Amino acid sequence: MPGSLEQIAQLAVNGLVAGTVLAVPAIGFTAIYAVLRFPNFSVASHATIGAFAGYVVNTAWHWPAWAAVAAAFVVAGAAGVVNDRLVLRPLRPAGALTTAIGAVALTIVLENVVRFVFGNDLRGYDLPIRRDWQWGPLRIGPQQVENLVIAVVAMLAVFVFLAFTRTGKAMRAVADDTTLASLKGIDAERVARLTNFGGMGLAGVGGMLLGLDTSIDPLTGFRVILSVFAAAVVGGLGSIPGAVVGALTIGMAEELSLVSLAPAYRTAVGFVAILLVLTLRPRGLLGERAY
Amino acid sequence: MSFDAAISRRTVLGGAAVLAAAGLVAPRAGAQPAAIRLGTLTPLTGAGGSYGPSMRKAMEWVAQEINAAGGVLGHPIRLVSEDDQTNPEAAVRAARKLIDVDKVAAIMGTWASAVTTAVAPLCWESKTFLTTVSGSDTITQLPHQGYLIRTQPNTHLQIGKLAEFLLALKVKRVFTLAAQTPFAVPSHKRLEEILPRGGTEVAGIVVYDKDKTTFRSEIDQALRSKPDMIYLNGYTPDCTVLMKELFKAGYTGGKVAQGYAVNAKLLGSLPREVTDGTYTATPSPAVESAGYKRLARALGTDDLDPYSCQCHDHISLVALAIAHANGEATGTAVRDHVRKISQGNGQKIDSAVEGLKLLGHGKAINYEGASGPCDFTDAGDILDCKIRFDQAQQGKFKFVKMI
Repeated sequence: MPGSLEQIAQLAVNGLVAGTVLAVPAIGFTAIYAVLRFPNFSVASHATIGAFAGYVVNTAWHWPAWAAVAAAFVVAGAAGVVNDRLVLRPLRPAGALTTAIGAVALTIVLENVVRFVFGNDLRGYDLPIRRDWQWGPLRIGPQQVENLVIAVVAMLAVFVFLAFTRTGKAMRAVADDTTLASLKGIDAERVARLTNFGGMGLAGVGGMLLGLDTSIDPLTGFRVILSVFAAAVVGGLGSIPGAVVGALTIGMAEELSLVSLAPAYRTAVGFVAILLVLTLRPRGLLGERAY
Repeated sequence: MSFDAAISRRTVLGGAAVLAAAGLVAPRAGAQPAAIRLGTLTPLTGAGGSYGPSMRKAMEWVAQEINAAGGVLGHPIRLVSEDDQTNPEAAVRAARKLIDVDKVAAIMGTWASAVTTAVAPLCWESKTFLTTVSGSDTITQLPHQGYLIRTQPNTHLQIGKLAEFLLALKVKRVFTLAAQTPFAVPSHKRLEEILPRGGTEVAGIVVYDKDKTTFRSEIDQALRSKPDMIYLNGYTPDCTVLMKELFKAGYTGGKVAQGYAVNAKLLGSLPREVTDGTYTATPSPAVESAGYKRLARALGTDDLDPYSCQCHDHISLVALAIAHANGEATGTAVRDHVRKISQGNGQKIDSAVEGLKLLGHGKAINYEGASGPCDFTDAGDILDCKIRFDQAQQGKFKFVKMI
């Protein structure tokens, strides 16, 4: 059946793009988990904040997409640092569960702040909508390719930062063992701030990438947070390459499931993947704290 | 650390107790003639968020008008407004609060069919009257014991007229892309019932999860059957994405959608080349009626959405029914009296204030509102409604015809 082979190839392409875009906020989520040791669900609202920051500079000041993505990173990152200092840091001594619930509360508050400022309407970026490229039987959109490139560049930047810079190494040291790192003279608070900035910045970029291909509203981040969480858990919470592998797994699995499943059940596939991975490999595909 | 936490927790609890006490005392101080408590439950946020605020405003305006004219037999109306978030779970919590805490006689304005389906059992079990603008057929089939009416034409009526419209366009193959809602499958079945009679083939349906951010694979599936008309049966956020992606995929055939999904806001957010040519079907309010014109002036627009018109009629009908029941402000009284003021041979009226005056003089009335004639079957469905068809041209809607 060549028809269904073509269908599978197209689904794989769609899954690859969906997975790559999902990987960006998943890296942010898992990096914050690695350093601060709690699942920061406010990644959802920071993705929305990033998407709206990009929207403002793109539509009001006519910045091109790549510059708007940079703005999304900076604004969401800065918001992440402030919100962590004001809301989540005071909760941290009470334990990871309390902080995680605080993060859920925070995300709902922030989402409503965005709603208060921008209203509930859908907004689209000021970008031309282009027809897809047809490549034999396969179809891929120019925007998808750009998203893919931006996502890959963001991921490479994170790897280079963590592997080769002093601060990146300090971050890894804190993630590995906070006490040992502080004995070595690493300022854990500074590392926490940086991680929040970078992590939430990536969430902001992810929110904007999702919106570039579709549209944005105050629920943009909230819609994907479960998939982001799923990607991080499947890959191994706290592992950055794991987040990438997890996001690609979830993206591919959700799309390829359409061969035999109705699209309405697609979301369940990601969560079946979580259950399977957690049952067979409780620490995720790549294990916790792998770099 | 824990000592500090305990102190602050105690302070917070103390403060909350004072606030709660103030809340309990306050109502006793002022209101002399007992207020009639009515609840609004509209989607202020979520997929229906662009309609809910205006629906609530319409009801607030009617309440103000009634109160300014002396209330319902001297009792002022007190509206309690909640947000259903276009989410059944949030709606149930809000409805519980309206029923148990605020003790409202009626809940008015639920929009999404899934929300109405979730809230309806709470209403009929607590004998609270429910008025809704949801269109799914299944809603009036619930065992609601009469505690529910809707002003929105049901799927059967609406899709019947849509099918009639498509047959007149002489399309050959129709494919449905539907969000996962209670009306997705009934709508499709109704199309399958009517379209083949006129020689139009129903090519298939894909039901999608509307919270996904991309629908590329769903669209591939639709395009494989080579339709010349795609029926987008979803809500605004997902239809925005679908229309963009249909354009990107190179689809050049026709598109038709419900007017609440493909609306002026959607046209404003997408380039013309993506939206042009799309037909929309909208249950039409009674645009020529005095009730419609008054409400439009009050809300400061000349283009009212049908839901605000229907909500205007919800509260008017409830207030008139309570007056007809000699001021008995209960869900059961509304149930037993609503058809006595909405249909029949009484004097035709189009405002609650006018109706209340006539009822005060012992006259029979027949309310015809801003949304239409408001005549109900025993099941709670409206008997008839006009559907208006428009087409997007140059980024604006052009009227095509009324069926």
